[in-house]
Amino acid sequence: MADMVNILIDGKPIAVEKGTLVIEAARRLGVMIPHFCYHPKLTYDANCRMCLVEVEKLPKLQTSCSTVVAEGMVVRTNTPIVNEAHQSVLEFILANHPLDCPICDQGGRCDLQDFSHEYTPTTSVFQDTKRVFQKEYFSPLIEKEMNRCVQCLRCVRYCDQVIDAKALAPINRGVMTEISHFGSHQLDCEFCGGCVQICPVGAFVSRQSLYEYRPWMIKRADTTCGYCGDGCALTLQTRDQEVIEVMSAYGEGRNSGDLCARGYFGYQYVNHPDRLTTPLVRQADGRLHPATWEEVLPLLAERLTQLKLSHGAETIGGLISARCTNEDLYLFQKFMRLAIGSNHLDSTARYGHVNAARALRRVQGTNRWTVSYEDIVQADVLLLIGTQVTAANPIVGLKVKEAVKKRGATLLTLETLVPSVETTSNIANLSATHLTVPVGRHGAAVRGLVKAVFDENLVDTGLSARAGDFVQRVRAAAASYPSDLDEATLRTMVKTFAGAKRGVILIGQDLLQAPGGYESAVNLLDFLLLIGRLTQADWGLAPLTEENNEQGAIEMGATAEYLPGPADLGDPAARSRIADAWKEEPPTAKGMRLIEMLDAARAGKLKAMFIVGENPVRSLPASAMVAGALENLDLLVVQELFLTETAKLADVVLPACSYAEKSGTFTNSEGFVQKVRPGLTPVGDSRPDWEILSALSVMMGYPLEYGDAKEILKEIRAVIPGYRVLGAMPEPAKADTSSIELYVAGGFAEDLAGRYDQAGSPKADGQRWSLRIGQTLFHSGAMSTKAKGLLELQKEGKLIMNPADAQRLGIAEGDRVRLTSATGEATVPVTMLGRIPEGTLFFPESFRERLSSLASMSVDPVTGVPYSKHLHVAVAKVGSVGSGGASAGPPSAGIVGGK
Amino acid sequence: MSSVFSKAAQERIPGIIARYPEKRAALLPLLWLAQEEQCYVSEEAMKEVAGLLNLTPPQVYEAVTFYTMYNRRPIGKYHIQVCRSLMCALVGTENLLGWIHAKVGIKVGQTTPDGLFTLSQVECLASCGTGPMMQVNDDYYERLTQDKVDRILDDLKRDGKCPLATGPFMFPEPSAK
Amino acid sequence: MAQHEPLLLKNMAQPGYRGSLADYERAGGYQALKKVLGKIPPAEVIEMVKKSGLRGRGGAGFPTGVKWSFIPKDHPGPRYLICNADESEPGTFKDRQLMERDPHQMIEGMILAAYAISAHTAYIYIRGEFALGARILERALAEAYQAGYLGPNIQGTGFALDIHLHRGAGAYICGEETALLESLEGKRGLPRIKPPFPATHGLFQKPTVVNNVETLANVPHIVNRGPEWFASTGNPPKSTGTRIFCMSGHVKRPGNYEVPMGITFQEMIYDIAGGMRGDKPLKAFIPGGASAAFFTPEHLNVRLDFESVAQAGSMLGSGGITVMEEGTCMVWAAENLLYFFNHESCGKCTPCREGSPWLLQILRRIEHGKGKMDDLATLLRLCGNIAGRTVCAFGDAEIAPITSTLRHFRDEYEAHIREQRCPFRPQPAPELITVGH
Repeated sequence: MADMVNILIDGKPIAVEKGTLVIEAARRLGVMIPHFCYHPKLTYDANCRMCLVEVEKLPKLQTSCSTVVAEGMVVRTNTPIVNEAHQSVLEFILANHPLDCPICDQGGRCDLQDFSHEYTPTTSVFQDTKRVFQKEYFSPLIEKEMNRCVQCLRCVRYCDQVIDAKALAPINRGVMTEISHFGSHQLDCEFCGGCVQICPVGAFVSRQSLYEYRPWMIKRADTTCGYCGDGCALTLQTRDQEVIEVMSAYGEGRNSGDLCARGYFGYQYVNHPDRLTTPLVRQADGRLHPATWEEVLPLLAERLTQLKLSHGAETIGGLISARCTNEDLYLFQKFMRLAIGSNHLDSTARYGHVNAARALRRVQGTNRWTVSYEDIVQADVLLLIGTQVTAANPIVGLKVKEAVKKRGATLLTLETLVPSVETTSNIANLSATHLTVPVGRHGAAVRGLVKAVFDENLVDTGLSARAGDFVQRVRAAAASYPSDLDEATLRTMVKTFAGAKRGVILIGQDLLQAPGGYESAVNLLDFLLLIGRLTQADWGLAPLTEENNEQGAIEMGATAEYLPGPADLGDPAARSRIADAWKEEPPTAKGMRLIEMLDAARAGKLKAMFIVGENPVRSLPASAMVAGALENLDLLVVQELFLTETAKLADVVLPACSYAEKSGTFTNSEGFVQKVRPGLTPVGDSRPDWEILSALSVMMGYPLEYGDAKEILKEIRAVIPGYRVLGAMPEPAKADTSSIELYVAGGFAEDLAGRYDQAGSPKADGQRWSLRIGQTLFHSGAMSTKAKGLLELQKEGKLIMNPADAQRLGIAEGDRVRLTSATGEATVPVTMLGRIPEGTLFFPESFRERLSSLASMSVDPVTGVPYSKHLHVAVAKVGSVGSGGASAGPPSAGIVGGK
Repeated sequence: MSSVFSKAAQERIPGIIARYPEKRAALLPLLWLAQEEQCYVSEEAMKEVAGLLNLTPPQVYEAVTFYTMYNRRPIGKYHIQVCRSLMCALVGTENLLGWIHAKVGIKVGQTTPDGLFTLSQVECLASCGTGPMMQVNDDYYERLTQDKVDRILDDLKRDGKCPLATGPFMFPEPSAK
Repeated sequence: MAQHEPLLLKNMAQPGYRGSLADYERAGGYQALKKVLGKIPPAEVIEMVKKSGLRGRGGAGFPTGVKWSFIPKDHPGPRYLICNADESEPGTFKDRQLMERDPHQMIEGMILAAYAISAHTAYIYIRGEFALGARILERALAEAYQAGYLGPNIQGTGFALDIHLHRGAGAYICGEETALLESLEGKRGLPRIKPPFPATHGLFQKPTVVNNVETLANVPHIVNRGPEWFASTGNPPKSTGTRIFCMSGHVKRPGNYEVPMGITFQEMIYDIAGGMRGDKPLKAFIPGGASAAFFTPEHLNVRLDFESVAQAGSMLGSGGITVMEEGTCMVWAAENLLYFFNHESCGKCTPCREGSPWLLQILRRIEHGKGKMDDLATLLRLCGNIAGRTVCAFGDAEIAPITSTLRHFRDEYEAHIREQRCPFRPQPAPELITVGH
């Protein structure tokens, strides 16, 4: 091939792509050239000088990390001169190195230790004074020991090039060069752990595992992270039934070694002392008492069977967390549909992802992404709408950063967070065109995008010819730009996006977990259709999921409206395929969704609920009156890791395993199915969710028996045609053209009238601030609040506001404010961040119980999604003049949209 | 929000940034400006400059600590910087340090109790034919003798300036030929 | 004493010449610009400079016209010219004089160079300590704008050029051209890995030429008097033109002297600089700034041109000649220079970062009477491990004082170790630093 270059390394010939570095070519031949500063993720810096090799015809030794192959190049990596060079670099490094291997956590996996062992004598002629850096406190989670540093700057480059945080700096110069943050301030950053992972020596180590182990003492399990939908490969490192540390190797999984704070530091909830270790049963004294599985399972089977017989299967409902494995989710819906006999079931995908799944299925025929992470990296334009990607989906955020920073992609952002450089990354900082979209206005922005397609004459001519009616009616529906968003900016974005060679739209929680989320997703598919990109390879709409297995929850059929597939409940082909596998038909009656079940419970129509891994009392606001509804049940079963607010109401509490203790699979946002492997045996008497359900089914006389999770996966594959096999690279789904044709031929019309109007107009209220309850980088859901390390980073919910707003209100860091809404009030401490737009407030969802009384809830009439994360509140500083403090309005009346 | 820059300095900032196609390039000039305002580069200044240039504070801090001329803490009103490199050392750096010590009683790294003089030793200042020499704030003083040093320090203390400062440099002066 | 016609120092030697625009114009300044702009195509200007044989006066001696010709002709975006006024090489003080006494000569050279490479933005990177020089240049630039020698349409020719002054802030390494680029971009002044070279990936990753002050100051003269004339001066064909040598140390008349290349050190030290200041004979001299290997009296007949000095084992470098009399301790001199290099090592690459303080500590021990004979072998071995293995030329520079003094004065080192004291300095200098700085 023309683009291949032939070279000879240590006498071995190899052909590599033009532009390959010698060190990489050697690696492919199995020749490991020692190095510190080189890392394939980073641009080369050639500073450590360890990778010197001989290149024929060149007088000096060359750094193989920065030398690009040339045709006919002859490289020698193992000659006396090269070995002597390796030795001399090590001699220089070791001269100032403290040689404190016995107390260094890197010992046993240290590049410096390994190379020294290989190349240097055990004695040194160095007899002068070693450089000493004073030890200083660096951060709660990352320990810095600069005397061990080899100044390779991998950490600094990673923090800049990959994470875009720029929180680490090399300071001073010469031999006194050290890595620091800012002045003597402790580290303030994303705590992705990247500096710890990428450090070739022990200069950065995790404080969570400090002095805890030697590499040879631990067991490793390669699994998948249980936090968000990004689906990162993770290796649990355990000792004596405890997770000691996690790591992620370069080249592995979808994340290739990159992690976020939750992934790297958030594992400690697994070994939290409050984990449930035995079943609990509510006794006559009204309290929960420990019981054995042998006692509790027959009892539970009997109660459920009794209820079924006395009130009917339709009085029993179930709810499961989308953090469970596919196998758990699949068996749960099968249990509900067969052992109970009811379609009243739901999963936490209901909180938003069903909006996306339904929209995608409706228009493109598949709920899957038609793109993969690779397509994001390779795209030349990316449009992000309401993703808050750094906090919600950090690793997808890294793919976006890679596309922009390494490959020069153009980034367009319709996000609530404004560009502002701080030492945590902010995707809007990389944006070529950014428009600040007020909370709740992302749907309106989408309407503006569609309108701009027409105004810029970018409608696909083929589509116009083929589906003129669709085009004309959408044109009429998307009749106006939102008054609060800049038209010119929207038009620029659309021109840029439509003119690209390949592009991906990423949408997230701000769009999908807000009223109109479903319609906006459909409208975005209209947008892709109109510009002729929906069916093109490498293009697509990519909704991001908050929880790790929301995609799996939909596909396993763990919602009322979908059978495994997902297939519509009434789809005859799917029903017969499932009946074949199940030897029984799933029930036909339409099932209730989460909020409908709660309403039915409150009305006395639902008698029992089986809740697995979800805590609706906390997830939904007080105004949803979840506790009252659950207390009204005859039987509440909660299967959980902890005694949550919901579990405390239960009649029976069943201890479940965490992801670190079980086998199975998760399906990530992009639809990639990945292995979950246990690093620990189950804590106490806890059991995997599927196993509990399986045991219960046997006792109820509907034996759903499986030897292990793999057997369930086998059945899943039989029931869900073409269900993704596990592999190195996902193959994205293709948009189904027949579905699209049905849609443009008339399917679009059924709700078109309201679909573009739902976005409405901005609400103006001079005294009310817009408050978004949303995800932060350090927490997701409730598990993270049981992780010690993450609590050290963020121990409580603080209201975040723009510094200018705070100054205007006379509020300083740590002051408290009283928030008042139509439904209640709450007092919370305040912190500030420049990326929060003026007039907007933000509160971390993981601590939302603090605001429970404030929020109201609305339910999506189509998709049943409960919306409760956007509120309007009045703000008053606690302790300021007047009774209860003077209340102050946002900076300007109404909602501000600006560039 | 409060600023470390005076109003006059603030007015110069946009013009400085405009000299470069990328904002970050204005870092050294803005740090100079900050040092003119405060006589050193404070953390507040670093944060403010970071904000002006869309940098993180660590990105500013790494530059401040790399270059020797940014003072990281307040120093004396007159910063005496004695060249210690070989060419001056050959003709009497040690004497010069002694003369300064004899006159104002400070050694390298020290500041006089009245806060007037801080003494540093620095590397070659491109005055090698005219050593021993020192720079005080912006001004060079060359071909120093004990008498000259005494007079310079007296003048500075009294008048805030000294006519012995080198003007536009040429050595040997044409007239000396 | 031989008389030499000065070229670059000619104007400023005139009585009353203050370097103002009026002075410069009166002395024939900006005539080259008028000859070239809009009249001679840029490519021809490059050819002229190539033909003149002008080589860089900053230290490396790279042919200037060739450097200019590396700028890609068809590159669509901006390209930059940078004047390297970061004169920091110990022993060198010529650019300071050129800038402070005749700033327009350099500015005219910059305009011509920018024209030749079609750059419309140029920067003068001046070392931070030159506060006076910066003020003088600011004033000169303002004059040049005022007179239409700079700006959007220079002298009505349609050629546009802005020159901005940019002050460094104290870092020797920023004289290295890629470190200068990093510094100018607002970063730490760390040398870049080459390739790619500045000609294609320079300032802001755009094609860039970096030239020294003295180099640029020569350009108007090449245009005015013709490349052929220039190529005939000095010591053709490889060392054409004059050079300003900076005489320092133990000579009677230190200072800047502009002479044609090719005269001998004997003439330079004894005729031009007046010979040794006291009664003591010459012991050693550094021929081209602190980065150049020491010479001894046996090198007095070496000629001051690029090739001759290189052949004799050192380099012409930046033109700083430092003369040391008998009685000067060579170990002390090497230690002093290593102190400098250790202070100025940027810390980017291992051999230099870790090697500098190690070498310094060994030298210090020897000078302070605590050396061991083994130290000499260690010094040489460490120097060998730095040579050619660093990112930039700094590594080769910092070992030059050690290897050359060890070569010429090994007995002196041995005497220090044998006697466990410095034979020359009864009371060694107080230790001013520990490791680092």
